[in-house]
Amino acid sequence: MMPAWWRTDPCAPFRIGPREFPGRIWTASGCFAYGLTGHEMTAPGYASPYEGLGAVVTKTITPEPRAGNPMPRLVETPAGALNSIGLENVGLREFVRDVMPRLEAAAVPFVASIAATCPEQFSDLARAVQTAGAKMRHWHGLELNLSCPNVAEGGHDFGKDPDTVAACVSAAGGGAGDRALLVKLTPNVGDIAALARAAAAAGAHAVSAVNTFVGLDVDLATGRPCLPRRFGGYSGAAILPLALAKVDEIVRKAQVPVVGVGGIGSADDALKYFALGAVAVQVGTAQMRDPFCAARIARQLQTG
Amino acid sequence: MGPTGIPSPCSLVGEVMANGPVSSGLIEMHLRVPGGSAGQPTFFPGQFAMLNRPGASAWTFGRPLSILAWEGGVVRFLYRAVGRGTRELAGLGAGSGLTFLGPLGNPFPAETGGLRPVLIAGGVGLPPIWSWLQLYGARAGGPALACFGARSVEDVPWTLVGDRWRVAVEEALAAGDGRASTGLVTELVTAELGDSALDGACCVMACGPWPMLRAVRDLAAARGWPCWLSLEEHMGCGYGVCKGCVVPLREPSADVGWRPATCCQEGPVFPVDALAWDVMQPEGSP
Repeated sequence: MMPAWWRTDPCAPFRIGPREFPGRIWTASGCFAYGLTGHEMTAPGYASPYEGLGAVVTKTITPEPRAGNPMPRLVETPAGALNSIGLENVGLREFVRDVMPRLEAAAVPFVASIAATCPEQFSDLARAVQTAGAKMRHWHGLELNLSCPNVAEGGHDFGKDPDTVAACVSAAGGGAGDRALLVKLTPNVGDIAALARAAAAAGAHAVSAVNTFVGLDVDLATGRPCLPRRFGGYSGAAILPLALAKVDEIVRKAQVPVVGVGGIGSADDALKYFALGAVAVQVGTAQMRDPFCAARIARQLQTG
Repeated sequence: MGPTGIPSPCSLVGEVMANGPVSSGLIEMHLRVPGGSAGQPTFFPGQFAMLNRPGASAWTFGRPLSILAWEGGVVRFLYRAVGRGTRELAGLGAGSGLTFLGPLGNPFPAETGGLRPVLIAGGVGLPPIWSWLQLYGARAGGPALACFGARSVEDVPWTLVGDRWRVAVEEALAAGDGRASTGLVTELVTAELGDSALDGACCVMACGPWPMLRAVRDLAAARGWPCWLSLEEHMGCGYGVCKGCVVPLREPSADVGWRPATCCQEGPVFPVDALAWDVMQPEGSP
């Protein structure tokens, strides 16, 4: 039973900036790979895990392929997951040459997540994706990952400074063109609304809030951190209230649409973001446990 | 059914029918799952499923368990209670619900190309090897040699490991106990085969702990036999999206000579030569 205030069809088209998206329930970057996995899976009542999805935000790509961090990369806690994958990805060249055409052919609505270490690189990445996707119907936008906490060269700190955020948004085209430009914000700052305002002022059409929280877990057998790099990005059910607080801060203090992400595992969780004013949501860690999680949430929010 | 004839994975809710010890350390669970068309293969040996608790009590990640058998709507698993999840699994009684995602992963080859199969399992690595012997053992090139290794004679699931198996245990046997030999399972295999002129006439399939897999690799390499290994890795998603279970695969075109591959999606069964052994940590990861 849906609350009385919920009257939105999450599978109806809606607009972010210049672009119309097919729905408001998305999957988060790094949590559903490149949107090419699991198409053959079924569940009772579902022909595929992609039913009803508004967008798959693809796994973040970098200019060159990355092998990622050493194992172990993933630690489970009672209510969440700590990861240090290290941006393992196929790199820009394979992404535009192989992944994007396959997504287009499979009619998967997607947002391409890109990460770089300086504004100039963001410019190159954005331009390459824009060129490859110019005629694609199912490519809806870019999400700038300014906040991956697992990269040694400082991706984590990168997105903490409003001026740097603005420089990256400008470098990525400043929102020109006919696709949406989103920025994924780190929650590991004192004033997240300042980052959102900087992104919007530089031309971003929306912000995705939030990325993972910095976390650490200890292996009691060795007395050392579980992850070789000590810290990881913490996600999953445990961060839902933390992420909601960050989203609320942005909604109240910045004039920019928010795509809510963090700890969503059910239709009720997603509704909490919509109640605060989010225009769409992304399902992250829960998608790893259940490939149909986002599809189930979309169905439930649509039919009650 | 996928393009390769492998059944497509299903997300289902199952019901525990039975769940109890079959040796001092191993537990067998029977899970009833809906569906399954008659006459269609439900899984292939080497494939696994992700199990989780339903609803709000779900773990952040499911637990990957290798499929022992899947007949008449009942999936059988063999596991060891080693961590939080598997200890909770061990406590589930008949009637408990579990979510099931499977079958997942790539199986062992069904055909041996006329080669005599040498099947080697260690401890909780028994399910894929056991199911291979059940399904394909009779039609392979020559009688299969099936060997199982365990720490002690109490750790051997004798209801599963019957007459068709040779058994090795690491702890000394009681005087007069002729059910097993003492030593490592790879030593048993070597003894069973002798160092006769069997070169090129066998192929090896194995699943078990890393030290055993390394010994199996060496045993096969010394004789020039093709060899497939099923790897056990900690997994998050089980279907290739979280990138938390990577193993290094040889990739001559890559700068470093290898690339990370998800154990769950590209494996868990790999041809031994595909693995980049030189960059592996002792437990298999890059």
